[in-house]
Amino acid sequence: MDERELTARAKRGDEAAERALYDAHVDRVFWVAYRMTGRRDLAQDFTQDVFIRAFERIGDYRADAPFGAWLHAITTSVVLNGLRKVKRFDQREAVLEEAAAVTVRSRESEPDLKERLAQAIDALPEGCRTTFLMHDVEGFTHEEIGAATGTTAGTSKAQLSRARAKLRIALADFAGDWIE
Amino acid sequence: MTDYDPNDDIQDERIRALAASHYNAPEGTVPRDAMWEQISAARRAARTSPAEPAAPDATVIPLAPRRGARTIVVWRWSAALAAGLILAFVLGRELGQRDGTTSSSHIQLAQQPARSAGPTDSAPSIPPGPSTGTPDVTQRTPGAAPRRVASAEPVRPGRATGAEVAARDSVAQTLYRAAAIQTLVQAEAVLTAYRGAESGASDPQVMQQSARWARDVLSSTRLLMDSPAGRDPRMRALFSDLELVLAQIVQLSGTPLQASERELIDRAMRDRDLLPRLRSAVPAGLAASS
Repeated sequence: MDERELTARAKRGDEAAERALYDAHVDRVFWVAYRMTGRRDLAQDFTQDVFIRAFERIGDYRADAPFGAWLHAITTSVVLNGLRKVKRFDQREAVLEEAAAVTVRSRESEPDLKERLAQAIDALPEGCRTTFLMHDVEGFTHEEIGAATGTTAGTSKAQLSRARAKLRIALADFAGDWIE
Repeated sequence: MTDYDPNDDIQDERIRALAASHYNAPEGTVPRDAMWEQISAARRAARTSPAEPAAPDATVIPLAPRRGARTIVVWRWSAALAAGLILAFVLGRELGQRDGTTSSSHIQLAQQPARSAGPTDSAPSIPPGPSTGTPDVTQRTPGAAPRRVASAEPVRPGRATGAEVAARDSVAQTLYRAAAIQTLVQAEAVLTAYRGAESGASDPQVMQQSARWARDVLSSTRLLMDSPAGRDPRMRALFSDLELVLAQIVQLSGTPLQASERELIDRAMRDRDLLPRLRSAVPAGLAASS
């Protein structure tokens, strides 16, 4: 059964169709949520929210666009809103808001590249971080990112460029090794 | 402005590869079934609440800017409903006295829908008298609470006609419906105020006020759940969800709210789509009673 038919049946409240759509997309939604949160519990909560909202609003879905793209727009919205709530009380917001605050530290003081990379990505402004993760890591197109984040493909490209530049600066002391 | 450096591409690719393999990289399995259980439970709850028009209401939630005006409207409704409630109550007493019942007729009136809500829903709930031979209701429900037995004091034969009994039933139903709607309106106001206070979560006074207000509404909710109004499955589900969220709000002590507490309340409201359901239940209830 193709996705168009599944969505049509899901619109009529067919639970089997909902389950089939869930099975087809849950992994992608979960791992995107996990990639953006880094916590399985949050990824699980957000994934549930995504599908609950999607099935509640499936009447709004128009079959001329892929269901996955529509679902990822909801995913982005749910995850970003959820993360904002979590961060608001996490008292790390100031650190996460300002990528400029990322300083290039000496390799001796913090030799672990993976840890430095994680810190640098976490320190990116929200839009840059989302775009970097969705485009460079998860493989979304700029058009898809624009649609999911409520911006344009051009904005997505600009944010990706900023994100890459900030990451290059943050990890500049490793650059020599990479280029060699 | 920086010039293009071909080495940038090499660095970007290296960073991208590292991020893909190490930054929150997928590990383990997706808990599909556990998540589906939660999703399908939420879906089932939504399906059993037909008062909730799912799709459009999801877009109603963010109407925060109308909060102030909405609260005023809510309290106007509340005042109007309170007046209606008093009127219905007075009417009920008046009818009770007219057919010679005792001064506890209002208690009796309040019990009638409880008895008529069973399989014999359309039958008059007051025993019509010896001529019909209908047995006393209390004899059919031996497990009934003592207060019900007391309130089911036999009505003197020949005093109440069928029309009067029907009128009294109608008044009682109206009374319960009005009380239910009034409570829903107040609950909506509490939840709206709570959401409104979200930005001022650090203000203990706002939180204390919400908690006090929620406590008042919670007591009405519990009473209504145990009343004939709570026999309507749709209303009962709504009251039940409402009770859970209100109980959580009541527990706010006025100290700055912890993230986990707020998340818990927010999630409970969101998962149950409480505000949209309340907002849709109130006009529907009014329409039905008019």
